Amino acid sequence: MARSLSSMLLKGIAGLPATRPSRIVFGSFSHNGMGFSTTVPNDPDTHEDFKPTNKLESSDLSLNDVVEQDVKENPVMIYMKGVPEFPQCGFSSLAVRVLKQYNVPLASRNILEDPELKSAVKTFSHWPTFPQIFIKGEFIGGSDIILNLHQSGELKEKLKDVTASQEKSE
Amino acid sequence: MGSRVVVTRANRIKAKLQSALEATALEIDDVSYQHAGHAAVRASTAEGQTETHFNVKIVSPKFDGQSLLKRHRLVYDALADELHSGLHALSIVANTPQEAEAKAKTQNPIPNK
Repeated sequence: MARSLSSMLLKGIAGLPATRPSRIVFGSFSHNGMGFSTTVPNDPDTHEDFKPTNKLESSDLSLNDVVEQDVKENPVMIYMKGVPEFPQCGFSSLAVRVLKQYNVPLASRNILEDPELKSAVKTFSHWPTFPQIFIKGEFIGGSDIILNLHQSGELKEKLKDVTASQEKSE
Repeated sequence: MGSRVVVTRANRIKAKLQSALEATALEIDDVSYQHAGHAAVRASTAEGQTETHFNVKIVSPKFDGQSLLKRHRLVYDALADELHSGLHALSIVANTPQEAEAKAKTQNPIPNK
């Protein structure tokens, strides 16, 4: 029962487009468009046998570039199991719950959807587990660390100008 | 599937952290059952791996002067093999002996006089 339910959900999630991180905004703040588009799926040097079957890889960006771009362009970026509205692991769920307290735009990617991306993120941060949280390009850590920073007040400090700059642009 | 794991992952984690980080206190809890339903774990369970999630409480002098991020990295480094063989996640509480002592005091305050 539980098994068939989660495999159904998995299928549903796998069907979502993965070319850019989903971004949701908590609270009343409304986001005005995100200038984020991936381009040109054609790579003339790629032999058909070696063509990636993966959605992310089919752009001309390497996965490492994708991650680099994600964390550069999104002040708060989380790589997680599942999606913020429906985390598929308690630790990912905890991290999202913590970040939701701050009313900041939260960009995310579901690493269960994409094993290649998952290993690219691990390599990028030299961190073996998920979720992984980046704030203003800085790798913060996983759910234990984000909870700790929340409790100590450091997270508020880190996110202060994120909230402020977003409000200014409204 | 089916073959009994004689040395549990919890014991291996314990041994590795003990030797790599010279832990002065170490508590390992297998909490895999709390994560049994989720997708990545179902795949590992199919491969016979059932020990996937652990809570680790560790006190080590090597954490002295290290940020939380660095402390976690030290733990992950010590457990690299486990992480490559089906260990999915750790919840880590990493303290120095001094911090652990201070915490123990606030949790069990000795009454004055």
